[in-house]
Amino acid sequence: MSNRNDLKNTLSYLHSELNRIETMAGTLSTVEREHFNKLTNFDHRELMDIAVEEQNAARQLGAIKQMCLAMAQKIEGMKKALDHGEPGERTQHDPVH
Amino acid sequence: MIRFIENIIRSAVDATVDKAVTRMIRDQYTENLFELVPATTKVGTTNLMEIAMRANQGTSVSRPLGSPIHLSPWEKILFNPCHLFRFPTPENVGIQTSVTIGQRARKPLTLSIPVMIAAMSFGGALSKSTKIALAKAATAVGTATNSGEAGLLEEEREAAHLFIGQYNRGGWMNTPDKYMRLDAIEIQLGQGAQGSSPQRTTAKNIGEDYREVFGLQHGEDALIHSRLPGVNTKEDFIQLVRRLRDESGVPVGLKIAATHHLEKELAIAVEAGVDFVTVDGAEGGTHGGSPTLQDDVGLPTLFAVARTSDFFMRKRVMGDIQLLATGGLVTPGKMLKALALGADAVYIGTAAVMALASEQMVKTVPFEPPTSLVVYSGKMTDQLDVEQAALNLTRYLNACMQEMEQVAISLGKTAIADIAKSDLCTIDPFLAKATGIQLGMVSSEEQEQFFVDTQPAFDDDRPYEHQPVEFSEKQL
Repeated sequence: MSNRNDLKNTLSYLHSELNRIETMAGTLSTVEREHFNKLTNFDHRELMDIAVEEQNAARQLGAIKQMCLAMAQKIEGMKKALDHGEPGERTQHDPVH
Repeated sequence: MIRFIENIIRSAVDATVDKAVTRMIRDQYTENLFELVPATTKVGTTNLMEIAMRANQGTSVSRPLGSPIHLSPWEKILFNPCHLFRFPTPENVGIQTSVTIGQRARKPLTLSIPVMIAAMSFGGALSKSTKIALAKAATAVGTATNSGEAGLLEEEREAAHLFIGQYNRGGWMNTPDKYMRLDAIEIQLGQGAQGSSPQRTTAKNIGEDYREVFGLQHGEDALIHSRLPGVNTKEDFIQLVRRLRDESGVPVGLKIAATHHLEKELAIAVEAGVDFVTVDGAEGGTHGGSPTLQDDVGLPTLFAVARTSDFFMRKRVMGDIQLLATGGLVTPGKMLKALALGADAVYIGTAAVMALASEQMVKTVPFEPPTSLVVYSGKMTDQLDVEQAALNLTRYLNACMQEMEQVAISLGKTAIADIAKSDLCTIDPFLAKATGIQLGMVSSEEQEQFFVDTQPAFDDDRPYEHQPVEFSEKQL
């Protein structure tokens, strides 16, 4: 019983941290996009390349956000399975988008 | 002095052209140099040169970068921007571009953008430095690159954060020590530019590094069979997919050349439980394949994507099996249209290689073609600056995504994946009928009636020729 509770607590912790990472990734992605806009104001080749890097980083943070969302959904499924007395095994994954 | 030389040159050119034009007017056609113009127009410049090459070489001609024939009428499809009925996306909202391949796999593959670098093999197609540059660019933008039909090139694996490898008909990636190191496995049974035909690289064109990666003996040719060794029945294929999924945990997919048998092939792929299907349309490129295989074999990419997407919809596997589209997608508009028609991601090959070599092609022209910088057997591969090449491709991919995001904003979408068939219209009634895209010539409400009224035109055997439509009294 104690083990089951430990597992539930761990899953809850992972779930809340994933939600936090998701929010952070979203915020950072917005910041990166703003940096892109600022950097493209200068007619400078090297700054333009940095701007491109910023935009690529923004998209990768967007991907991290989606991955966190998908993982949080899986953990939610595992928590529900535990609540229903199942050992947390799921063969089907939740859709991520 | 310069003025004097200029005048002499002008006089000489004037006299020569005058003489040539006069001669072309006076000579009988059969003795006339102008004969070349209608003859070339009739046969086509490319065909004329390929006739000469065949006559000179006596063997199948090897043409790089795929067919010049455009069979997918992408230009007849347009996106529908919105203004009031649905509002455009505010410009400060980021467009979600990521996509996950193999959502049912133990280790799904998430990409930051839905554009990947196509399967172009080391050795069989490209040089080592080109493969590394492609991998570096893919990593910089958070997408995957594909091994092509090759063994595992260590430097490429190292440079690529996300690496899709082809379980191939040559057998060079087909051992666990290699495929267990991939982020997705693509079982390659064919490609758009060459169907499922066998291919051979003769030993004289195989260098030491090539031999090492492919595990070939000295003097041994690299042979791609028409069939995957060990897969001679449908059941063999199903077993292979299941084994690879169980062993690796990564998404396992099937790559085929798109053909009119598409649905029959897809039914087996669905039964096997693949995570993704890559359809390579007839416009797919290659390092060098025969013009006949390139021009006259396969199904165009547009119809391959629309039909596969419809099939997945009918089989209710949308979302479970991802559709990867490739073949002639050389502009962001074409890539986005393929995504709107149901593809989850697209591969680009020719465009990626051109972007990669773009600024450096000045090193080759006018005496060598730009491909000599990038193909394995190219004369100038040692002159390719890998970092510069990767940077150019990174910039190109970013520009493509930016253009796609602009369209998404205009459509009122917040994710590229949300762009769908309903965001498109077409100006071709037959394309509308075939693909289910609404016809832009009449309003949404009048679509059905339009096709009822014009039924006689669709019954005709010559669909693309204009036929007068006769209406019955009742229809009028």
